[in-house]
Order: sequence, then C-alpha cells, then structure tokens
Amino acid sequence: MAFDKHGTTRRALLATAATGAAFVAFPRMICPAAAANSEFKIGLFIALSGPASLFGPTQKACAELATEEINKNGGILGRQIKLIPTDAGGPPVESTKSAIRLMLEENVDMFVGSHDSATREALVATIKGKVPYIYTPTYEGGECAFNTYVIADTPEQQIHPSLTWMMKERGAKSVYLIGDDYVWPRKCNEHAHKYIAENGGKVVAEEYVPFGAPNKFEEIVTRIKSAKPEMVLITLVGADNVNFNRTFAGFGLDKEILRLSLLLEENTLLGIGSESSNNLYSSMSYYANAPGEANKKFKAAYFAKFGAKAPQLGLIGADCYGGIYCAQALATKAGGTDASKCMAASEGLSFATAAGTVTMHGRHVDKTEYLAICKGTEFDIIKTFENVKSGDECKA
Amino acid sequence: MDPLIVTQAINVLYAVSTLAVLALGLAVIFGLLGVLNIAHGEFVMIGAYCAYLIQSWEWPYLVALPLALAICGVIGWAVEWIMIRPLYRRPFDTLVATWGLSLLLRKIAEGIFGLGFRSVAIPLPGTVDFLGTEYPIYRLVLIAISLALVAGLVIWYGSSRTGSRIRAMVSNPELAQAQGISVRQLAAGTFVAGTCLAGLGGVMIAPLAPVQPFMGLDYVLRAFFVLIVGGLGSVLGLFSGAAVIGGFDSVISAATTTTDGYFAVLVLAILFLWLRPRGIIAHS
Repeated sequence: MAFDKHGTTRRALLATAATGAAFVAFPRMICPAAAANSEFKIGLFIALSGPASLFGPTQKACAELATEEINKNGGILGRQIKLIPTDAGGPPVESTKSAIRLMLEENVDMFVGSHDSATREALVATIKGKVPYIYTPTYEGGECAFNTYVIADTPEQQIHPSLTWMMKERGAKSVYLIGDDYVWPRKCNEHAHKYIAENGGKVVAEEYVPFGAPNKFEEIVTRIKSAKPEMVLITLVGADNVNFNRTFAGFGLDKEILRLSLLLEENTLLGIGSESSNNLYSSMSYYANAPGEANKKFKAAYFAKFGAKAPQLGLIGADCYGGIYCAQALATKAGGTDASKCMAASEGLSFATAAGTVTMHGRHVDKTEYLAICKGTEFDIIKTFENVKSGDECKA
Repeated sequence: MDPLIVTQAINVLYAVSTLAVLALGLAVIFGLLGVLNIAHGEFVMIGAYCAYLIQSWEWPYLVALPLALAICGVIGWAVEWIMIRPLYRRPFDTLVATWGLSLLLRKIAEGIFGLGFRSVAIPLPGTVDFLGTEYPIYRLVLIAISLALVAGLVIWYGSSRTGSRIRAMVSNPELAQAQGISVRQLAAGTFVAGTCLAGLGGVMIAPLAPVQPFMGLDYVLRAFFVLIVGGLGSVLGLFSGAAVIGGFDSVISAATTTTDGYFAVLVLAILFLWLRPRGIIAHS
C-alpha cells in the first residue's frame, strides 16, 4: 500500500496510523468476542529451515496427527486445536521474533517446541512464562523456568543408565568425549564426567568442534587412534555426526573402539550408512521400531494418515506428538491456560506420547529409555531401562 | 618415525589435495571469466548425488564420472547461455545471479531427494599399511588422483592450443576476437569446464561426506578462501592457496583443536584480503 505507484498521501498515512493505533489501544474491544468458543491456538516451534530442517516434515506430521486425534474427540476444553507451525531452525533471535508475533497477533494459548537448546534458552527469556511452553526433544537438563514444561530426555535418563551399562557390560572404562561446541554437548559432558568417575572410569580427552562450521575429522580421528580409548562418547549432531562416524570407520577404528552417540536417530544413521555403523550404540527414549503397544498404535495411525511416503519417523518428530498431548492434558486439568493453575496442574499430570503414557513430576517426565546397537542402518534395541526418573525435578 | 606424526602428515596432504580439486572449478570460472560462481558448491552437490544414484542402481562407481560430467555440463551450458552471458564484466550481478542459482539447485535437489542424509559406500574400503601407519585406501587414491588432475590441467593449459586461446581471451578479449578466436564459445566452454570440475569433485568426495542438499555450502566457502589466499588466474596460485588454507587448517587442527584450525583459516583469509588482496601469486 505504501509503495503503490501514486505514492503515499499524508492523509492515507494518517488514516492507516489511526487504524493501527485503534487496534493497539483497544484490543479488548476486538478480542473477547473472537476468543469465546474460538480455536485453541498452539504455536509449534519446529525446524522448517536450516540444517535441522530434515526433521521438519516429521515434526509437523506428528503434531498434525495428535491434533487430528484430539480434535476428533472434542478438542481442548471444547475448542478445536489450531496448529501454527513456526520456524525455529534459524538463529535463536529469529525464533524469539516469531514468539512475540505469535503472542501479540495470534494470541496463542500455548507453545510446543522441538528445537536446539540455544533456541530454547532464547524462547524462555522471551516468553517469560506468559504462555505455557512445552519443550520436547532430548536436552541437557536444568530447565526450571516459570510456566515451562519439559518432556525431553534428561542426562539422568539418557546418559546415566546407558553409559553405566556400556562401562559395566562392555568394559569400556576409558572414554574420549567429542561434541559440537554449544550448550547441549558441553552440559551433557559435564554429566558424563560424573557418571564415568562414578563407574571407576576415566576421561581420556574432551574435544569440541565449531557448531555450524564445515568440519572435517581426519585429524581428530587420528588423535583418537593414538589416545586409544575404549569408547568414544559422541555429542555431535546432524552432518557432523555423520561425517565423524564415517571418517572414524574409514580409518578402521570401528573394529576396536566402541562408540555411544547421544543424538543418533533414524535419519542420521541413514547418513552414516551400514559400512560405518559397526560397534556404534545409541541411547534415546524413542526409536521407530521401539517395542510396546503404544508405539504400534501410534505408527498405525501415522502411516494410515500419511501413507507409505510418510516422513521418516524418529525421536525428533515423534516428540511433537507427545508435546501436543501434553498441551491438551495440561489445559484440560488446569481448566485453561492460567500460568499458576497450569503450574499446579502439571504435577502428576499423565498424557500420551508415541512411546506410551508418561507422568510429569517437577515439570519433567519419568520415562523408559532404550540402548540400541546399530545393525546396518537399523537400530537393534539391546537394553530397556524402565521408567527412569528425570533427576531434574523443579522445586517451584 | 612416530606413526601419529606420519598419519597427521598424510592428513595434511589429503586436506590440501582434495581442497585444490574442490576449488579448481571455482578458480577456472572466477580466475578466467571474472564470474564468482556462488553455485559452485551446488555443482559439487550434484556430482555427489550422481555418485549416490549410480550406487543405488548398483552400477560400477566409475560410471558416476560420465554421469556427473554430463549433468553438470548440461546445466553449466544452459546457465552460461541464459544467465551468465548477459552479465560478463558485471561481477556483482553475476554474484547475485549465481547465488539465486544456488538456492534453486538446492531446492531442486530437496524436491527430488528430500532433506535426509544419503550415504555413499566407499568404493575402495579398508586401510592399507603406508609408511608404517594404517591409512584408508580410498583417501590415498584420492590424493593421487587429485594431484594428477591438477598437474594435468597445468600442463594442458600451458601447452595446448585451447590453453593459449583462453590466455589470449583473458588478457585481451577484443584482440582475441579480432584474431579470429570465438570468445563467446571459448567463454562458454570455460564455464562448462568449471562446472564439470565441480561435479567431478563431488563424485570424488561423495563417499566421505554426508550427501544432502546443503552440502555444497561447506565447499564453496573453503574454495573461496583458497582463491583469496592463492590469487587468481594461475594454477600455481590455486595450489599455493589450497596448501596454505588446507595445510594451515589441518596442521593446527592436528596440533591443537579443530576450533583453532577453523579460526586460523578465518584470520588468514581476513589478513590476506587486507594486506595482500591479490593473493600470493598475483596475476598480472
């Protein structure tokens, strides 16, 4: 409008500004009528762009599936859910701008987010507890912000049992830590140090590569070869994880040294490929082929809705299914989205996830964890840790 | 000698030689035509997907080479004809145009293959005892091929008729035209050669990299650094650029951490742009 070929007249500008001011000054005049019996809006933060965007289609599909199921059964408090998928794959500051827009313009009722920890920290600081925010993938623990609910795996769940098992059952006592240089790998390794010491092992070396840089791993793999650890604990993500593991196996180290990767799901394993996945382990709370009735039902519904060409299932994506169900359970029990009521309702809250029903304590959930060994490009679950406590319960 | 040092030394050689090949296409197009092809990495990506396709059809790996050359050649030819030809001598415009092209190629790859990682099995798997240390066979072969390719191109460019025609075109296009050299055809051929070399690099590197639509970004940046440091218009410059960037990165990564290596590369690129913008081997 301002750029039409006749140019902007002073009068038009004034009129526009006045209309805008009216909307800003009297939102109450417009909102209540619209809000009654309207949709329940959920701002869904997923990776629609950037390097993590390969998860985007699965995240969106799983959230849509949960939404459809809930809406068929009457929605949330009689309101139909409307998903607003929003990109969180770019720099954190872009996601915070979207969060502000969603709160002011869309009046979203809740946020559900499946993205990296740097973005979570930025979003928590932006949302400031004004709207309930549910965080879903795996993370480094310690998030206790007001009105923020975490259904992600914590280090106590994801790292502690699996690392202990590897050290005890596989006898891997000396560990080399390698990760991308940002908050999740560094915090995870802080926990790993603790668990390794507890099992009488030692950390041979700890090393990070720049996050988002075009990394190559020949030099690091050579260094690992001469350090001769019994196990490498990997907190590399995405392409770095693929690259490292391929280089590692290329240099023939896969025959002697075990690898445990903390963000190794179906997509990443496809990239690593079967000739490089020898002696490679992964630990997570969900795999597409995880056992149990809940996952069977979830997968049947997923493939019925999206067909044979459905996006590849994995933890990052399936977490959004649980996220939407958590939103439903939370708002239903709290009778709305009032912050203090939600905080109170979250204690002991039970809801469905792709892996089965979980219960929230201290705004974290207790859940079942799996340890899998890679067989070609498939995960073979060799150990199940039932109902592991989050170890991260928030007090207030 | 300590096998650790030997292995790291081979790693340096590997980093330098593969970087030289991956920068070759960019160097040819930028150095000879003055066109900064931001889509260079996407041609590498196309080469890598060719390798993936050939392998998923269970054909011999070497068949990927003609396929990549054909596809990158045809795309390069069409791009030169439609997009680049009207923009010669307008460096900034070609930069923006090829940037757009890179987005388009990436999206096309995403449309065909999706965003997921593809893995290409290493055609020559395993390690071999080399100078007292175990080293992956395929990487050793890659070093040899890369060195041969660069050397071959130097000799060809210096001694063949086409090489001297290209030199004539670069130093004085009008005079070359007046001498009966078809500058237009020669420029098109040079551009196509550049995109083909990128595709070739893609086929070579595919078994060692995560193959996905975004992969080209990794290579165009490093290749660009090579040109900054090495200077334009000579293969010697290209090789010295690759030696400095790849070597520095690899040596520092081996001695301290990868972060330091990457940091050193960035500092080096800035210093060169600042103090020696024409590179080590300045083209007259």
